[in-house]
Amino acid sequence: MQFTIAGHVFELDTAGVERLIEGVLPDPVREHYVVVRGRRFPPKQVLVAVTGLDRADFTTHQARRILMRLGFLAARKGRETPNAEVSDQDLLPGGDGPHGGRQAAALEPYVGQWVALGEPTEVLVAADSPQDVLAWLSRHGKQATGMFYVPADLADAEGAAPA
Amino acid sequence: MRFDFLELPGGSSTLLRPIVPVQVEDLEDAPQLCLVDTGSTHNRFGAWLAEATGIDLSDAPESDLAVGGLLTKACHARAELTIGGTRYDAPVTFCDPWPFAFHLLGQEGFLRFFRVELCAAEAWLKVELEAEFKAELNSLHT
Repeated sequence: MQFTIAGHVFELDTAGVERLIEGVLPDPVREHYVVVRGRRFPPKQVLVAVTGLDRADFTTHQARRILMRLGFLAARKGRETPNAEVSDQDLLPGGDGPHGGRQAAALEPYVGQWVALGEPTEVLVAADSPQDVLAWLSRHGKQATGMFYVPADLADAEGAAPA
Repeated sequence: MRFDFLELPGGSSTLLRPIVPVQVEDLEDAPQLCLVDTGSTHNRFGAWLAEATGIDLSDAPESDLAVGGLLTKACHARAELTIGGTRYDAPVTFCDPWPFAFHLLGQEGFLRFFRVELCAAEAWLKVELEAEFKAELNSLHT
């Protein structure tokens, strides 16, 4: 699909965007985000990563529109949103636990990764190593409420009792 | 201090884990979620945390330890832990490898100092500093 952004023409497709963003850690989401392979990114961050343009070259609205045309889910934190967009609440099923299953649902995309939580259902950052998470928190001046590895299977989740 | 259990994705059902956020040394930005493990004799942390916080393990006594069916190298050291605003010096065993989701809070280094009330039915736990240890800490700070 062809897009003109800030006077430059780009040929973008969904698989290409997913590939280019694969090793990128998501920046903090202020309001708008898009979901790429289960991770939430600020729309501008994704477009910068795939085009090489400067963030100032386009608006968040442009970035969202382009990424939505490519088939990515666009949403806004904790708000009702129209049409193809969804709010956080739409993404979260009901269930057991102190947060009604919403925390588990928020963690689901990050199975097998290290995460830092902000609010109970807010994943600030997810990465393959704890060192990457620490570096990201430091770089962005963010304070996590808790950091851990989202277990990939029941054995990991059960923890470990010394023999 | 009261802490909600952590909800983990578990396929068809949510897994609830009794965890306590622990600041290790001066790692204020990233409290570590630790699993309360009454069966563990000591605190067991991943060794990467020692490196991340600058705890020197080069002279720490070592042993082999079987944890959760895994043989790991254990370095026995001490670390400053902060739980619910209380900072104290605790024995910690740093283990490598440590492929588990959480660090473990065990008897020495945690349960000896804190009284824990746990309600699995409502998915919360309360952690309260033992009076004797509180007095000990106060005397150290005066």
